[in-house]
Amino acid sequence: MQKIFNLACGSFYALGAYVGVSAVGWYVSAGGPPALFIVPLALAGLAVGAVGVLVERGLLRFVYDRDETFQLLMTFAIVLMMEDAIRLTWGTAPRSTAGLYLAYGRVEILGAVAPVYNLIVMAASLVIALAIGWLLTRTAFGRIIRATADNREMAEALGVDMRRVYARVFTLGTALGTLGGALVIPTTAAMSEMGIELIVEAFAVVVIGGLGSMRGALVGALVVGVLRAIAISVYPELEMLLIYLIVIAVLVARPRGLFGGAAA
Amino acid sequence: MTRLSQATPELLRPHGPRCNQSRYNKTRRQFLKLLVAGAGSAAASRLDAPPAFAQGGPLKVGVLTIRAGVAAPVGAAGLRATEWWAERVNKAGGILGRPVQLVVEEESNPKDTVERYRKLVLQDQVEVVLGGISTGVTLALGPVAEDLGTPWLSWDGTTQKGVEETMPHPKWAFKSVDNEVEAIVAGILTPKYFKGIKTVAGIGNDYSYGHDCWESYQAVLKRYIPDVKFVLELFPKLGVTDFTSHIAAIQQSKADLLMCSFWSGDATIIMKQAAAVGLFKTMKGVFTTAGGVHDSLKKEFTPEGLLLGYNTMYFDDPKASPLLKQFVREYKAKYNEYPPYECDHAFFNAESYKVAVEKAAGPAKKWPEKAQVVKALEGLEIESLSGKRSWREDHVQMCNFYQGITTHKNAYDFVTISPIEVVSTKRAMKPAGSKLFEWIAGWKV
Repeated sequence: MQKIFNLACGSFYALGAYVGVSAVGWYVSAGGPPALFIVPLALAGLAVGAVGVLVERGLLRFVYDRDETFQLLMTFAIVLMMEDAIRLTWGTAPRSTAGLYLAYGRVEILGAVAPVYNLIVMAASLVIALAIGWLLTRTAFGRIIRATADNREMAEALGVDMRRVYARVFTLGTALGTLGGALVIPTTAAMSEMGIELIVEAFAVVVIGGLGSMRGALVGALVVGVLRAIAISVYPELEMLLIYLIVIAVLVARPRGLFGGAAA
Repeated sequence: MTRLSQATPELLRPHGPRCNQSRYNKTRRQFLKLLVAGAGSAAASRLDAPPAFAQGGPLKVGVLTIRAGVAAPVGAAGLRATEWWAERVNKAGGILGRPVQLVVEEESNPKDTVERYRKLVLQDQVEVVLGGISTGVTLALGPVAEDLGTPWLSWDGTTQKGVEETMPHPKWAFKSVDNEVEAIVAGILTPKYFKGIKTVAGIGNDYSYGHDCWESYQAVLKRYIPDVKFVLELFPKLGVTDFTSHIAAIQQSKADLLMCSFWSGDATIIMKQAAAVGLFKTMKGVFTTAGGVHDSLKKEFTPEGLLLGYNTMYFDDPKASPLLKQFVREYKAKYNEYPPYECDHAFFNAESYKVAVEKAAGPAKKWPEKAQVVKALEGLEIESLSGKRSWREDHVQMCNFYQGITTHKNAYDFVTISPIEVVSTKRAMKPAGSKLFEWIAGWKV
């Protein structure tokens, strides 16, 4: 909506992961029951999303009307600064939530063992996707967001306060990134470079799905995830090649992505 | 600061019979003459730098370490051990009376690191450079060290291209243990602890270290179990944080054993994600290098019964020397962590330099030339944190490697090893001048 190519989304994900690790650490050391660790984890992930206001008001608003190159440089600078800030705050060693990953046990589905926590994260992702869909299509704020994305000048002429809308939307996006990082962290370990890893994959997802399309992002993520898993099982050398072949095919055959035409 | 820049203001200062007037009264010509003369004498003093100056002032020791990125924990450990060594040496009166002053520079990509190396030698005028972790970087540093004529002692980097040596007869460069040694040690120990292995899957980082370890491990295991089959090999990028698809593929391969050469946070992550699907309930595991992140391998997700490598130093060795015990105690008190192996590499480098200087100085205790220090380092054996370590005549480190079977029976919240196997590089590292796979093929097993 803001027409900004935001490389810093991966950094928000990493920040959420680190804040999640710290929040769970405090919670456990304060004697909180392990079964409820997901509550402080999710709350901390959401709360740290407030950093989005600072980034949007403090930095991004100055480059909205600039060339895309400036915007890319600005968000890349944020990536590098956040990486250093994380390193200064949490140190260089990987951080993890120890054994809480298996706090909810494991289940067997179609002969495969899966941790229940993975299912919780999948369910949470679905709920968040539906909630965002509802927000965009069924609320007044959602209509304003779509109108602004479609024609910023017209929306502004109709009395929409761009400053507030941009700040809110960016903060919402940031909070989704930090929440994602926090929810994923029990399954992995937080490393200061984890954001960059995510950015590369995220762009493959949005190029396949279509820039600016919610449905596209969902389908793109599924395509990338499933194809990677198949490639690793069948022919591991093709893991990255396959994804980028599809990215190239989409760029050539359908430059706006699978769902990009309608919503962009 | 260079001597040129130190010397120039001194020459401009008005003093002595020829400069008895205020500098503001000098003509432009006089000023330029003085400047040229000053620069000339400063350059001359640089060319024949007298050891007498060196004997008196602080001893500058260059340190190259990684403080950013995936290898930052390794770099931090090496730097901490070097700082611990410097404090210890300075408390005891320095080296031949000269206090040690560390000049730390960052190891990043080969090009920038080479520039920083030049800066350490030419601008900071260090007597020795310690450090270097990534072989990708140290391969480039080796020839530069030879050109600049200052001893360089590498913590963990080699001058190997793949598994073959590119600098068999260096003069100034002192290199780490060959990269593939821990995989070879694991290959030797695998048949001892895991009987009846018929199929093996491997996973390592997608760069030279991961591939070389896997090739070496296969070659060694083939010698002990000739009919073993290698059913899967996976090489994810360094820095990946999700291995669920890789683990699914490993499960699908139904291998008897998984060999993994991860050495950073990815070792912790794969352990966690493997435990989540119960991978090691049906499969044996060999983690050649994960001891580098040992205190992140929590008991909740790291099972007992895996073969785990700690490289050259095991912090919890019951046979630890008083030196190691003191180091572990003070490291834990200062950083609230238990030290990994890189501390031992770094301490060995620094301490061997000190001993070599003292040896080369002789009874007269005259500060030795750099070439004399290099001569004294060759073949030198000293007491490091992990015990006796030495420099082979071709400037490669000789030491012991520690691996063992993971156990939960300890006072920590992470796994340790018991029993502990100690394998010397005399057994697990190719001799100077030999080819790795020909050497392994020639073993009598």
